[in-house]
Amino acid sequence: MFASILDIIIDGLFMGGIYALLAMGLSLQYGVARVLNVSHGEFIMVGAFLTLALHTGLGMNPILTLVIIGPIIFIVGYLLHRTLFSALLKSSPSTEVFEGKSLLATFGLLFIIQNVAVLIWGSATRSYSYLASPVEIAGAITSLNRMVTLGITIAIGLAFYIFLARSRMGKAIRAAAQDPATAGIMGVNINNVLALCFGFGLLMAGIAGVLYSMCFGFYTTMGLGFTIIAIIVVVLGGLGSIPGSFIGGFILGIVGQITNTFEAELTLAAYYFIFIVLLLVRPKGIMGK
Amino acid sequence: MQYLLTSICSLCMVYSGWFIDRLLGKEKRGKWLTSGVLLLTLALVATLPVYGTSYAPILMTTIILYIILAVSWTMFSGPTGYMSLATAAFFGVGIYTAAFMAGDFPPPVFILVGGAASFILALGVGALTLRLRGIYFAIFTFGLVELIRHVLAFIELHVTGTRGRFVFGVDNETIFYYMLGVFVLLMITAYFLNRSKFGLALRSIGEYEAAAAHTGVNVTMVKIVTFAVSAFFMGAVGAIWATKLHYVDPGIAFNPLFTFIPVLMAIFGGMGLLYGPIIGAAFFTLLKEFLTTTLAKYGLGELYMLFFGVILVAAILFMPNGVVGVIQRLTQKWRKGGPVEEHADT
Amino acid sequence: MSKRLLLIPLALLLVFSLVAVSCDGDADVTTTPPPTETTVPPPDDYDTRTSIVIGAARPISGPLNMIGDYALGPLLDIWVDQINAAGGLYIDEYDRALPVELIIYDDTSDLGTMTTLLERLILEDQVDFIMPPCSTAFLYAAAPIANEHGYIFLGGEGGCTTLTALLPDLPYVFGVLNYSDYHQIPALADLFVEWGVETVAYIYIADLHGIEYAHTSESEFLLRGIQVVYSEGVPPEAVDLTPQLQAAMNSGADAFCAYTYPPISIFVYGQAMGLGYNPDVFVIGPGANFQFYYAAFGPMTEGLIGFGAWNRQTSPEANALVDLMVAATGDAGLALYGDEEGFLDWWGQLFYYGALQFFEQAIVEAGTLDQAVIRGVMATSTFDTCLGPTWFDMRDGGGGLLALECHPGQVGQWQNGIYEVIGPAANATADAIYPKPPFPAP
Repeated sequence: MFASILDIIIDGLFMGGIYALLAMGLSLQYGVARVLNVSHGEFIMVGAFLTLALHTGLGMNPILTLVIIGPIIFIVGYLLHRTLFSALLKSSPSTEVFEGKSLLATFGLLFIIQNVAVLIWGSATRSYSYLASPVEIAGAITSLNRMVTLGITIAIGLAFYIFLARSRMGKAIRAAAQDPATAGIMGVNINNVLALCFGFGLLMAGIAGVLYSMCFGFYTTMGLGFTIIAIIVVVLGGLGSIPGSFIGGFILGIVGQITNTFEAELTLAAYYFIFIVLLLVRPKGIMGK
Repeated sequence: MQYLLTSICSLCMVYSGWFIDRLLGKEKRGKWLTSGVLLLTLALVATLPVYGTSYAPILMTTIILYIILAVSWTMFSGPTGYMSLATAAFFGVGIYTAAFMAGDFPPPVFILVGGAASFILALGVGALTLRLRGIYFAIFTFGLVELIRHVLAFIELHVTGTRGRFVFGVDNETIFYYMLGVFVLLMITAYFLNRSKFGLALRSIGEYEAAAAHTGVNVTMVKIVTFAVSAFFMGAVGAIWATKLHYVDPGIAFNPLFTFIPVLMAIFGGMGLLYGPIIGAAFFTLLKEFLTTTLAKYGLGELYMLFFGVILVAAILFMPNGVVGVIQRLTQKWRKGGPVEEHADT
Repeated sequence: MSKRLLLIPLALLLVFSLVAVSCDGDADVTTTPPPTETTVPPPDDYDTRTSIVIGAARPISGPLNMIGDYALGPLLDIWVDQINAAGGLYIDEYDRALPVELIIYDDTSDLGTMTTLLERLILEDQVDFIMPPCSTAFLYAAAPIANEHGYIFLGGEGGCTTLTALLPDLPYVFGVLNYSDYHQIPALADLFVEWGVETVAYIYIADLHGIEYAHTSESEFLLRGIQVVYSEGVPPEAVDLTPQLQAAMNSGADAFCAYTYPPISIFVYGQAMGLGYNPDVFVIGPGANFQFYYAAFGPMTEGLIGFGAWNRQTSPEANALVDLMVAATGDAGLALYGDEEGFLDWWGQLFYYGALQFFEQAIVEAGTLDQAVIRGVMATSTFDTCLGPTWFDMRDGGGGLLALECHPGQVGQWQNGIYEVIGPAANATADAIYPKPPFPAP
């Protein structure tokens, strides 16, 4: 009667991939830039609606829209940090104060982005069909767009990890994450690095939005739910740990799919339950140091 | 007309907050005089149903609701610096308590029980989480609203077999007086909390927690109790508010907007002093009423949340101590060389 | 010292408030006298009245806007424009036609705001009539308030058995829309019998609305010997429904129903396409009844069933309503969906508009703005509207429901981009397609 174990794993990995991207983005913003960005989920919504506009308006392939939407959202994030958050950083006496202020500022952003989106795109649920045909994998049935999405999320996750581990910029980001003050002394332009991290963070949400729109319907008020999930995953993986967020995303995806299969109404309750237990037992998360 | 009357009444409430602030402050002069004014202003609010239109007390009830939520949030989060995002959870517990009890019990009973239920929940949550770092606490409390909502919805569906409960309306004037009564109680509580050693301990936690702990303050205990007291008020007004809703289900009772909006109101008003959140709450509630009704035909109701966001970001950037901070700066400039006294500490 | 100072005014205040509370026992809870049919003397404002004011608290912003703007919302404006274009409503006791003025407040999709604004409309603005808010829960909350103040309350987007049970105590409430056991699920089940459907799987949104459809389904299907092989509740926040779809698929049921509303109604169909799940009967509602559903899925909707139902062929009046809607919302529909009918709702809009036209004629017939008199006319009269001859079935001297005979249809099906009425047979605008054809290649 129920979906098979393989079905659960495949769909869990797919949802997990989207969560992983979102959480990696949030992890960059919080772990490095110290902004717990509550408006993070709004950018998955923005990504989805931009894809719809490019796909139905200009007939572009949804996957190709990544090339346009990605840079746009990255630039928005970079500029947001260079203006709003660096001003807050300058006026805050301590990291704690900055965390509090920036959290509230992102609440403001949430309301602004969401309501501007409603003015532009209305409130109804939108969707389009792309690669919505079944594929069979070892007896389990899933849809082609989900498999494509899963592939892209894994590729992006790995590429970003290599970028962090190998490139000069990646090393600067990691240095800033560990100790911003020292990194500054060592010749890293700290403001620039923080803004880049914020931009990369939003970029991840934007990419998740493009991929999400290929598989699901979307609407302008959906962002907050994703932010909450991203926060849960980030805590699960360990605040500030990028690989932790990536793995945590997949774990939450699979756990979610298991509850969804056996008691759908408790899926979100299960997320919060895991999250609350984790905070109490191991607040550092699975990969935290 | 109703704007004028409710604005005046809101100013009266701001005044009563300011009065308590003043009592707590160092300045000793003229208290006899001002306590007479306090009595007068509160009487002005309390008689609103007599001279106002029949809608004025209804609007005022909403304003006082937000004032209580914002002030009780500030009561804990202001001095300690812990960002609680559980307001909607405690408010919702109050609403749901009333939904369970309203048919069989008179309002004072379910208001008290609603407050007590939130108080107990907050004690539990506080005991579990107030040892955590601030940011974890914020995230945890944020999840709490959703957890309760989903579990409750599940229980209602599978165990009690209902979803959605009727709460029969209590007449508007009675609701208004209950709301006002809770406000007065909150002001008295805020006063004694600040006067006591407890308040001193609370402020020292906000300033430097480790030092407070070393001086023998039971840091966790102080935090937990304050958190629970603030939750009591949120729950009590939730129970009152349920009678205005008429129909309650978990989605309606546990609405995360009731977390965000009081926080934003408090930030806008300024968290250092009692009258700050009152200003914020009154201002935004009246603004909302104006935008969603009088200006609704121009489509401006839709812009309410947008305005909210813009004002919030601007306030954080340019008014770090809220309206209160601006007022203090202006009065200091006006006094020119008078004793400089900085109240707001955030 | 200062402690004592503070206590004196506070004690006084407490005493004062207690006195005030105890005094207001006999406050302004007006009980409206039972409807009478006596002719009234000229009203006090005979010379000064310039218009009839109608007010409503509607979700102009917030999540409920997703439904409100695509259902009753635009019709209110159209209706008022139509009346005013014809010179207003002729009210006998004023000996002249009065134009209608519409006040819409934004309840921001918050229930507490809605009830407060409704009271503002009644008490502060003293509007002559009110119109309903949006969604079943909001109707639930608003109906007793309107009734208590003696305001006629026409139903809007929503309706349920539970509210119907309360109707005997709510004489001013007139339910408009059809719903689960009135008479949608029975009509659907009859079609199932006709097609030889033996097994059904369904999912439902775990709230008032979904649970009611699930319960009604269980009993109506059982009654007809149709077996329910799978049923599962999903939360209103559900996004991924593949486990439920796979379970339904594995159950091998002939028919699959999703008693959900948007956005879930959109998710379900997109994911079913992804899984290639295409049972003989596929029902989604509410959701499939909106024109924007066709905008989202296009030809993929072929054979999809939803509730409702009406369309241009239902009657010439229905056709005229579509034209009115297109004139009012066509540009917005084109901009959002590339479809000038993008704001059409093939479930409720004909019901709502029929009820509005009924209400309008009842006011004129009563010749007064007195709610009690108009209510009496509404309870006993039949008027011609876009629904044809229209009347309300009254419940035990209480409120009423739009009579079943007036419904333009209960079940609809997408056929070639048109939402055809397929059940009950008397209302059908086309033959049903059974079984549902395979999804066309994209």
